Amino acid sequence: MSNGTDIETFRQEARAWIKANLEPRPKASATGRPDREASTPEDIARARVLQRKLFDSGWAGLSYPAEYGGRGLTALHERVWREEALDYYTPDFGVAGSVTFGAIGRSLVAHCTPEFCRQHIPAILSGDEVWCQFYSEPEAGSDLAGIRTRAVKDGERWIISGSKIWSSGAYLADWAMCLARTDWSVPKHRGLTWFAVPTNAKGVEVRQIRQINGNAEFCEEFLDEVEVTEDDVIGEVNKGWAVTQTMLVYERGAGEMGASMVEPRELAPDLVALARKVGRAEDPAARQAIAKAHINDYAQYHLGHRIADRLRAQATPDPAVAAYGKLASGVLAPIRARLGMEVGGPAALAWAAGDEDGGRPALNYLNGRVTSIAAGTNEMQRNGIGERVLGLPREPSFDTNKPFNEVLGAARNWNSKVG
Amino acid sequence: MDTDVTEDQRALLDVSERFMGQTCPLTVVRDPEARNGAFLASYRRQAAELGWFSMLVPEALGGGNISGNGVLDAALIAYKRGGLLQPGSYVGTNVVACAVAAAGSDELRRQVLGPLVAGEVSASWAVASADANGEPDGGVTAEVTADGGLVLNGAKTAVQDVEPLSWLLVTCRTSAGPAQAVVAAETAGVTVTELDALDISRRFAEVRFDNVAVAPSAVVGIPGAIADLLGQQLALAAVLTAAESVGAMDHELNMTVEYAKDRIAFGRPIGSFQAVKHVLADMSLAVEMAKAVVGAAARSLGDDDGYGEEAASIAKALVGESSIELAQNCFQVFGGIGYTWEHDQHLYLRRLTTDAGLFGDAAWHRERLCQLAGL
Ligand SMILES: Cc1cc2nc3c(=O)[nH]c(=O)nc-3n(C[C@H](O)[C@H](O)[C@H](O)COP(=O)(O)OP(=O)(O)OC[C@H]3O[C@@H](n4cnc5c(N)ncnc54)[C@H](O)[C@@H]3O)c2cc1C
Repeated sequence: MSNGTDIETFRQEARAWIKANLEPRPKASATGRPDREASTPEDIARARVLQRKLFDSGWAGLSYPAEYGGRGLTALHERVWREEALDYYTPDFGVAGSVTFGAIGRSLVAHCTPEFCRQHIPAILSGDEVWCQFYSEPEAGSDLAGIRTRAVKDGERWIISGSKIWSSGAYLADWAMCLARTDWSVPKHRGLTWFAVPTNAKGVEVRQIRQINGNAEFCEEFLDEVEVTEDDVIGEVNKGWAVTQTMLVYERGAGEMGASMVEPRELAPDLVALARKVGRAEDPAARQAIAKAHINDYAQYHLGHRIADRLRAQATPDPAVAAYGKLASGVLAPIRARLGMEVGGPAALAWAAGDEDGGRPALNYLNGRVTSIAAGTNEMQRNGIGERVLGLPREPSFDTNKPFNEVLGAARNWNSKVG
Repeated sequence: MDTDVTEDQRALLDVSERFMGQTCPLTVVRDPEARNGAFLASYRRQAAELGWFSMLVPEALGGGNISGNGVLDAALIAYKRGGLLQPGSYVGTNVVACAVAAAGSDELRRQVLGPLVAGEVSASWAVASADANGEPDGGVTAEVTADGGLVLNGAKTAVQDVEPLSWLLVTCRTSAGPAQAVVAAETAGVTVTELDALDISRRFAEVRFDNVAVAPSAVVGIPGAIADLLGQQLALAAVLTAAESVGAMDHELNMTVEYAKDRIAFGRPIGSFQAVKHVLADMSLAVEMAKAVVGAAARSLGDDDGYGEEAASIAKALVGESSIELAQNCFQVFGGIGYTWEHDQHLYLRRLTTDAGLFGDAAWHRERLCQLAGL
């Protein structure tokens, strides 16, 4: 393998290695995503074996620093790899995968000490450590800086107590990136600290939550005096908001837009098949719906490129610019799902028992708003774009300048009066 | 519009922008008296010196572009033009030049291309008709004569910026199928009637043809066998029109965002209200998406990468819908002032709504997309 960064050479090498070492899989679905994601411990065990194979051969963590087991290449190399590997089985960690290798891994590299990185990054890239996100809480989601899980310093240790919720894939993960409040006497953004927490630590209880689609991939956690050490601090104590900014760029998909991997040129193949199946290929209304879906797929793909270009042009990638990609998927995904229901008609409302294919429009419909809510709601993206890209003034805020320990009381006693 | 514009492209765009700002700012755009025949002729010649009408004509025929992708170059200029709602038949001249270069007789090329590229005359594509369901060959029927010429009868509508000396590319229907010819606007039997129109930044005309005889050398493409040519013309017109719209969308959104920062209500700028802020954020996404798609379509069409026509229809459909949405939303943010003649927003509303309907509206291009895909 050459160390060259030349993209064509890299592509040839990647293609050759993939062909010789990975198993082909049936043609990817329209979105380039596998139809079924890993969801059991057995799936994860299989993924770890394959990930180890990639790692040992130098094909893991392509754009991660070489000193931590990566290759030190660029996002473009990552993209080329994914393009080449599209029709092969690659390690599938399900939701835990994008979380681990995306937002979390990148944020750790950006903010942690070399010792921390040496301990965790190679372990992540080799598949030994799968991570999840302990961010949201029952009382705080959009308002992430309003979380109430507390961490108290006790000598060399930190003791964490509180509860987390909606953590994707937590039941499959080894570690969690956990946000806690470490100073209650200062305004909310200034008293936060991130910790690395082993999910099997004493005092951590993880429970799966059943979702509207019947699966149970996200979880709730109870943290009861969980002990971690000073070495488990991610970034700096009370400066957690800086880490959050980085994390949000990646979580909003600076590189991968959740859109198709290759320019979608085939007219919405899923909807065309559906229209044919229900005998509506000639129906003008169905044809309009199909074309709309394809136009949006094409637009989302090219928007992704445009946003990635804009982010690359910035010294520090701005989460507000990344918000365009996030908002696009949050707006377009539900529309896409609705178009499927429209084309399918009654057949999309009820289908033969056990017929997975027949039930797919309904399943997509139920999942359609995930991207509108998870990783920051559409409304939060609109706030970010409005305020930080367009420069519109912020709304009056009731909490940003109050010590956090006064915020909750003030909110409870709010008399609808401003100022 | 495009995220990676070359230095040469940048230079061209900068001088073009300066030229437009000096020669035809919005004060001129909104004043039809100021945009008289002499003004348009001089505007056209200056624009031609910048290369505005040579991009789609091969060098061997006296044209040339700067990046190697003439569609992209032309779309980048269209984007700048749209921002300032520039007048004149930019899309039409380029489409006609492209068609004549691609399929015109040697005689027609000699006659038409030089003057078009030099800005001595302009050209318009007479394609729309009042009752043809968007079919490009509607409205005008043609008889094919024994020598291979045509005799035209019927009418086209919403023909843009026809000047007394303009060339018209007429798409018509023969018994063999669609056909096309280039006809001078002053030809006997051609009647150009100025129309009142929604868009007041340009001129629109109905063009009637009463037994207009066309020489064989002026027929463009073989009657009944012009599907590919027509597809290329439609794609080019769609991309350039969409690019002009994106420029106008961008400009109008910026105007509106500035207003939302300045206008005070209930003791704070209206842009701080989420109802306003979120609409503007959505429209900003619409602009980003439109730029991404039109840029991609221009590249695709100009590079002849096998997806150009589809990409052009995608761009026209996407922009056709989001531009009207944007114009409506911006109007709302301006409140009462937006309903005044003095304010510029209505110029954008009028232009965007019109461009959305020219050369196929959103629904038409969606259906075309299905047909191109073989559905
Ligand atoms: C499938 C899925 C997976 C997830 N995975 C994870 C995970 O792995 N880890 C994790 O920590 N979390 C995860 N989440 C949680 C997710 O990040 C939150 O649900 C999300 O941030 C919204 O928070 P909330 O649910 O508390 O809603 P709230 O914040 O209570 O919002 C409710 C509504 O109010 C609106 N709203 C709130 N504040 C404002 C405002 N300032 N302006 C305008 N509107 C506002 C919201 O937009 C929303 O419409 C996941 C969620 C889902 C659905």
